[in-house]
Amino acid sequence: MPLAIAGLRKRFGEVQALDGVSFEVRPGEVFGFLGANGAGKTTTMRIVLGLLRADEGTVSWQDRPTRSWPRRTWGYMPEERGLYLRMPVLEQLVYFAALYDVPRATARAAALEWLARFRIAEYADRRVETLSKGNQQKVQYIATVIHDPDVLLMDEPFSGLDPVNVALLKAAFLEMRDRGKTIVFSTHQLEQAEELCDSVAIIDHGRIVTAGETRDVKRSTGHQVVRVATGDGGDGGWLGRLPHVTVTRDGRDYIELQVDAGADPQTVLKAAMDRGEEVLRFEVADPSLEEVFVERVGAIDTEERTLAAAGEVAR
Amino acid sequence: MRLGSRIATIARREYLVRVRTRTFLFGTLLLVLGVVVIALLPVIISYVDRTEVTRVVVVAPTDELATTTATRLDRLLNAQSESGSTAPDQAPDFVVAVADDLASARAGVVDGTWSVALGVEQAADGELSFTLYSNDPSLDRTAQLAQQAVNAIAIADRLDRLGVAPADQASLFGPAELHVAWADPTRTDPVQDTTASVSQDMLAFGMTILIFMIIVMYGNWIAMSVVEEKSSRVMEVVLNAASPFDLLAGKVLGVGGVAFTQYGAVVIAGLGALALIDPVGSLVLGEDPSTLGLPSGLTPSLLVAFGIYGVLGFLLYASLYAAAGSLVSRSEDVTAAVMPMTLLSTGGYLIAIYAATGLLDIGSGWMTTLSLIPFFSPFMMLGQVAAGAAETWEVVVSVALLVVTILAAIWIAARIYAAGVLLYGQRPGARTVWRLLREGM
Repeated sequence: MPLAIAGLRKRFGEVQALDGVSFEVRPGEVFGFLGANGAGKTTTMRIVLGLLRADEGTVSWQDRPTRSWPRRTWGYMPEERGLYLRMPVLEQLVYFAALYDVPRATARAAALEWLARFRIAEYADRRVETLSKGNQQKVQYIATVIHDPDVLLMDEPFSGLDPVNVALLKAAFLEMRDRGKTIVFSTHQLEQAEELCDSVAIIDHGRIVTAGETRDVKRSTGHQVVRVATGDGGDGGWLGRLPHVTVTRDGRDYIELQVDAGADPQTVLKAAMDRGEEVLRFEVADPSLEEVFVERVGAIDTEERTLAAAGEVAR
Repeated sequence: MRLGSRIATIARREYLVRVRTRTFLFGTLLLVLGVVVIALLPVIISYVDRTEVTRVVVVAPTDELATTTATRLDRLLNAQSESGSTAPDQAPDFVVAVADDLASARAGVVDGTWSVALGVEQAADGELSFTLYSNDPSLDRTAQLAQQAVNAIAIADRLDRLGVAPADQASLFGPAELHVAWADPTRTDPVQDTTASVSQDMLAFGMTILIFMIIVMYGNWIAMSVVEEKSSRVMEVVLNAASPFDLLAGKVLGVGGVAFTQYGAVVIAGLGALALIDPVGSLVLGEDPSTLGLPSGLTPSLLVAFGIYGVLGFLLYASLYAAAGSLVSRSEDVTAAVMPMTLLSTGGYLIAIYAATGLLDIGSGWMTTLSLIPFFSPFMMLGQVAAGAAETWEVVVSVALLVVTILAAIWIAARIYAAGVLLYGQRPGARTVWRLLREGM
C-alpha cells in the first residue's frame, strides 16, 4: 500500500513540467527524489499534496487518493522556506499545529520538545526574523512535523545548513523513519541521498529516468567501480590500457576505474598480480548515485541553483 | 473537522497580529481622539469664542450721543454673537467703552488697548454716519457685526427723532413668521425641519467617508498581506494545512474584525462624547446646556444602515482585494493589481460626495439607480437615506443585490486565489485571470 504516483502530466503554458511521472514510495522508507532544478520535483510534490491539480495521472496513498486523506496526514517543507517573520517562534508553531486541529497544549509541548532537541529552546518567544538562517530552518522543520504527519515531503531540506545542523536534521530524519513515518525528500546533494535513502527516483525534464531501491539504481548502469592502490606509488598507466576499463580518478592514494557492464572486475586484480604489482588495496563497489546520475542525466548543475537563488533575491 | 474551525484559527491569527501592533494602538487612539474632538466641537467653539473679548471704543461729538450709541452697540453686539440670553456671571464677548478724543482712541487701537474704534458723526439734518477704525479693516469680523449694529442704531436714532417710544421700537423690530409648505397640494408628509435634515446629511456624509476609508485602507492591507505571505513563501506551508478558501475567508474575517474593532471604538467614542456633551458643556462653560445637545439627525435607522452597508461593502471589496493580491508576487505590483477596486470604490465615493455637497442632484432618477448597484451602494445609499430620496424597498433591493454580489465575488475570489497563490513571477493579464477562473487551478 505504497504512495503510488502514476502517469502524472502537468503543463504550465508552453512548458511541459511533468511528462508521465510514475514511481512508488513504500510506507516507512526514506525516499530520495533527485533531479536538477526545473526537472519537476517541486511540481510533483505539490501535486502529491493536492496543492496543484495534475492534468493527467493519479496519486494514491494506501489505495486512496491523496486528496481524500485528512490534511494532517501530510507534512510539507517547501523549498523556499516560509515562516511568518514577525511572529514569535513558539506561537507560530502552535498556530501551524492548530491549522491541523492539534490542541494548543499538545502542540505547545511538542514544539518545546523539538526546540530543545534542536538546541534553540531559548528562542521560543523570539520573533522568527531575529533567528539565524540555520535556526529558521530548524523551526521550519518543526513546523513540518509538529502535527505528527504520516508522510513527510521535503523539498531540499538540507540546503543552506552548516554541517552541524545537517547532522542534527539527519538524526531527526532517521528518528521519524524509526517511528514508522514515510519520508520523501528532494535533493541535489547526491551523497546525502546515498547515505539516507532506501529508495530513490531520478527525474529529468518531467520524466522519471530511473527509480527503485538505492542499491538497484546504483547497479542499474551495469558498471562496477574498482579502486586499486599499488605499492611504491607506481605508475598506474597500465590500468587504463586494460580492456573494458576506464580510469575515472587518478589520485595519488588510489586509482578508480569503471569496469564496463558484463566485464569481470576480478580481471583487474588478476592483471595486477600477473604484472607482479604489490596490491595494497583492491575494492569492488557499485557506482555512486552521482555517477549514475551523471551517466543518465548529465552533470548535475549546481551552478544553476546558485544563480537561480541569487536571481530570487534580486527580484 | 468542525466546519469553519480552520477559518476561525486563521482569522484569529490575522486579527491578533494586527491588533497587537503599536501602529494599530496609536492609530486607533488618534482616531478616537479626533472623533471626540469633532463631537465636542460645539462646546470647544463656544469655549474659544467666550474667552475672546473684543473691546470697542466709541467716539462721538457729544457725550450723550456717545453714551446712547455705546449702550445700544453693547446690547446689539452681545446679543448677536450669543443666541441665548447672557448669563449675568458670564463675561460678554464685546466690551464697549466711550472716549472723548478720536486721535487717542485710534492710537489705542494701534497699540492694542482697543480692538476697534467706532467714530460717530452727526450731519446737520441729524443723520448719523459711522467710521470703523481697525488694524485689519479688510478682514475684521467685527466690521460685519458693526455694520448690522450701526444700521439698527441709525434706525433707532431716526425713530427717536420721530418721537417713537423705546417700548414701541421693540415691537417694530419683532420678527415675522414664515411658513414653508409643499407646492404639491396632494403631499401631506411633514416638511422636514431643515436643521435636522442638514445634520443628518452631514452624518451620512461622515459615515460615507468612514466606509470608504475602511474599504480602501483595509482592502489594501489585505492585498498587501496576501502578497507578503506569497513572497515570504509561508503561503505554501499554510496551504498544506488549509484550503485557499479557508485562507481567504480567514483573512477577510480577521482583518474585517480589526477594521470593526477600530471603527467600533471610533463610533462608540463619538456617541459617548455626544451623549456627554451636556455635562461636559455645563462643566466647561458653566452654561445652560440646552443650547448644545445631540445632533438631531442621528437616528437609529441611520446607524443601522451605516452598520449594514459598512459590513457588506467591506466583505465585497475585501474578498476582491485578496484575490487581486494573490495574482502578484511583489509588493510593488499591488497597486496595479487592485486598480479595478480602487476605481470602482473611488467612483462610487466621489458620486456620493458630489451628491452630498449639492454638485449633483441627489434625488434624480439615475442617482437612485446607481445607488442600487452593489459596488456603489455602500457609498451612495447612506446619503440617499439621509436625504429621504430612497424608498424602503430600494434599500431592501440594494442590500439583497449586495448580498448576492458578495456571494458571487467570494466564489470568484476563491478561484482566483486558489490559482494565484502558487503563481510566481509573471504578472498575469486579463486573459490569464480568465483562464484561472475557468480552470480553478
